[in-house]
Amino acid sequence: MNLLGRRLPAAALVLLAGGLVGAVLAPPDRFQGDYQRLMYVHVPTAWVAYLCFGLTGVASALWLWRRTGRFDRLAAASAELGVLFTGLTIVLGSWWGKPVWGVWWTWDPRLVTTALMFFVYLGYLALRRATLDPLARARRSAVLGVVAVVQVPVVHMSVVWWRALHQPPTVLKPGDPTIDHRMLAVLLLNVVAFTVFALMLLRARLRLTVLEDELATARAAEDTEVAGGVVTAPQLEGRMRDV
Amino acid sequence: MTVLSPAPLRQARAIAGTELRIEARAGEALWIITPFGAVALLLTPMAVGADRPLLSQLGTGMYWVVVLLFGVLVALRQTATDSPGHLAVLRMTGMPAAARLGGRAAATTVVLLAFETLLLPVMIALYQPDLAGWPWLAAALPLTAAGLAALGTLAGALVHGMAGRGTLGPLLVCPLALPLLLGATELVKEGGYGQVPWLWLLLLVTVTGIGWLALLLGANALEESS
Amino acid sequence: MSEWAWVTIGFVITFGALAGYTLRLRLRAEAIRRERVRR
Repeated sequence: MNLLGRRLPAAALVLLAGGLVGAVLAPPDRFQGDYQRLMYVHVPTAWVAYLCFGLTGVASALWLWRRTGRFDRLAAASAELGVLFTGLTIVLGSWWGKPVWGVWWTWDPRLVTTALMFFVYLGYLALRRATLDPLARARRSAVLGVVAVVQVPVVHMSVVWWRALHQPPTVLKPGDPTIDHRMLAVLLLNVVAFTVFALMLLRARLRLTVLEDELATARAAEDTEVAGGVVTAPQLEGRMRDV
Repeated sequence: MTVLSPAPLRQARAIAGTELRIEARAGEALWIITPFGAVALLLTPMAVGADRPLLSQLGTGMYWVVVLLFGVLVALRQTATDSPGHLAVLRMTGMPAAARLGGRAAATTVVLLAFETLLLPVMIALYQPDLAGWPWLAAALPLTAAGLAALGTLAGALVHGMAGRGTLGPLLVCPLALPLLLGATELVKEGGYGQVPWLWLLLLVTVTGIGWLALLLGANALEESS
Repeated sequence: MSEWAWVTIGFVITFGALAGYTLRLRLRAEAIRRERVRR
């Protein structure tokens, strides 16, 4: 089984290349200059991160409903990708924020929620790693997956309300809301490109999980003894007759 | 012969009563974790400097941070009802998991309320904060206790039987319990300005409600031979 | 540092992380396949 496949990686790479070209050719921002181009990678990674966690929530709920292993594998793979993209989002956000805002971090609700999401799903992965029994692992992470996807929006709202009290309405935003339509086109292209790439990674991660499960089964089968193997034929004068 | 099974609510009350009696008798969790929280409150002024105005600004915030971080430990405490033998007996009685965990969370709510109440004068003495809005603590304390108890009990069920349960449990609870922290601090602060802090009350009630719902619904999903 | 240099580093971080993760998946798959062949 080919881990990455053929057509999906090709499509993803073509789209990413197109997105990169677009990011280079797009006009610079009036206020942020060329720094604004970091939006073309930061926003797509954020979008993919949220998509992945939503998928984990849905897959967890489906597992609780149907109890099929496929949903558990999907939830886990999606969570792992989500953590990757969330971490990347935070790093890129910081990298973009420093030259533009002058600080590595602000208490903007989106940043806080993203950071908290990162830790929630890090905890999800830690829970999976620590649970050895596959069924218990599926059960526990499914419950956590559903609870998390319900609670994260509540957490976000609470932080939005909190910041509304403590900061004037001119909240620093990564990009003018009335965005130039060329920039918007490049942004959308990159969003699509990153999504397709993430799909490729998701499929690859799922295939890897299947391989890992097969290996674990093979290992377990090796360790167990063949039934009846303890019984040997009676020996006559020290010579075995059962071979 | 028909056997009448007691209502789940009665069972939950029985579990809660047992847990509270154990806590009152041995009381390790409360009497170890509360002093630990007090030590944490003591450490901060040493780290940031015992500057009176600064500390009085920090006080209420530090209080709720300590309540969150150490309250999680209270909620995750291991009790005698966690032993495999005891659990097996409870399961054989046919008690639904929601009743067992619900009773546990109810007991934890009471213990957390005691924990919060004991730490409050400690914080007030050390930080001497502005106590405007303190009547609203009557809402903030029980709501946070109930919310933290539910989330903590749920997390305890998720990490049950694991080696790293003491560290993984808090990691699972704390990010999701953030609204409790925000709600409590803002509730008292806004109450101090003379308005009724409806939004924060709503937030605390919602988060606590979701926590309890998740606990009771998730209890049966988690119940099996784990 | 010039604006373009800063932006370039950002892009390198992005694609480097994604390429690194992809590579990690492939290496793990290879290791598993080798292990399976061995058995």
